[in-house]
Amino acid sequence: MKHKISFTINGDVKEIEIEPNKTLLKMLREDLDLTGTKEGCGAGECGACTVLVDNKPVNSCLMLAVEVDGKEILTIEGISDGTNLDPIQESFLKHNAIQCGYCTPGMVMSAKALLNRNSHPTEEDVKEALSGNLCRCTGYQRIVDAVLDSAKKGGKK
Amino acid sequence: MKEFEYLKPDTIEETISILSQHGEKAQILNGGTDLIVGMRDKIIQPEYLVDIKAIPQLNRIIYSKQDGLNIGSTVTLNEISDSKVVQTHYPILAEACKTVGSYQVRNRATLVGNICNASPAADTAPPLLVLDAKVNIIGPTGEKIIPINQFFTGVKKNILKKGEIVNSVTVPLIKDKWTGVYIKQSRRKDVDLATVGVAVVCVRDEIRIALGAVAPIPVRIFKTEELLKGKLIDELLLEKAGESAITEVSPISDVRSSKEYRVEIVKVLIRRAILQVKRRYSA
Repeated sequence: MKHKISFTINGDVKEIEIEPNKTLLKMLREDLDLTGTKEGCGAGECGACTVLVDNKPVNSCLMLAVEVDGKEILTIEGISDGTNLDPIQESFLKHNAIQCGYCTPGMVMSAKALLNRNSHPTEEDVKEALSGNLCRCTGYQRIVDAVLDSAKKGGKK
Repeated sequence: MKEFEYLKPDTIEETISILSQHGEKAQILNGGTDLIVGMRDKIIQPEYLVDIKAIPQLNRIIYSKQDGLNIGSTVTLNEISDSKVVQTHYPILAEACKTVGSYQVRNRATLVGNICNASPAADTAPPLLVLDAKVNIIGPTGEKIIPINQFFTGVKKNILKKGEIVNSVTVPLIKDKWTGVYIKQSRRKDVDLATVGVAVVCVRDEIRIALGAVAPIPVRIFKTEELLKGKLIDELLLEKAGESAITEVSPISDVRSSKEYRVEIVKVLIRRAILQVKRRYSA
């Protein structure tokens, strides 16, 4: 039986009917066409599917879509306005913090959540905040540099 | 994932009634970080999923000087480790909560879910064991309080019967000065299960020790505690404690480690943890 749920997604209120056995990740990608959020392991180990629910980073593969009823979701599509990138994204580009790019949306969302709760993180804070996000290309240093640089500029480009 | 019916009761009474009615066909959905993976892999296939996160009284951390700390079952691990009350009065618990999974996982996973899942490697279990925590259970026949060391009954098994849920865990106040530490040995720092977990609390002339991932359930090692009680801690005694500890556990070999490694690392970690709590105690 489908459940009627309503939530805010990237600023828009949405109401849809959804099967309870669908994860939040699947709903984002298949029902809402928000394919910026990636599926890596599907088991909460890699962080590629990280989105913010009520401002907190979570693995969208570990949540059922029905659980977001009444909540506010922010995905990678919601942090830029369509023309201008978020300062964190700009910083990733500047520092070449991307190779294949598959982990990047999750990394950016974890970084976004960190800077929301702590505007002056140390290198250790950044590493801790990103420890649930795996990257198999970059060796992490450039990602950490990008987040620290973005924090230093106070969210400006 | 197999189809199921999703239910979201907003009272404990309704939850108990649903669970009593459907028995093993029903499963509680709390943080879901273990359950949803199990359902995806079709290891767990409930017909009814009962989401308890809409029940207001389960989402509280309460502290009082008389009763100690009470953690409701839907309180997340991040809420616990961020709680000033927990950081001040039970730092060992804040420390242990931070070792589970990743930051994202800890925004969903709960302490009560961690113990109900009853993994031998559950990171919150050893600290709760050395703190003599009590598990508050409510079911069709009423409420009962079970000491945490009677809660685990086997690998992934707990004492809960049909229709029962854990509504909170109470960590009693320790009136005397005390210090504690939780050391988790794992292959990587984050997003890994414990190869071995050791919790030690030092209070008065007592040293309490609990171990994770070295037996079918997380265990207190009372014989070793007895050996240490009231004694001056020196190298010889630490060595004896390590030798005694390994007689109280039964580690296995798995993907994370061999049995032999676990036996050795138990000795190392017990020594390290005792020295650390002693140092903190005298500081």
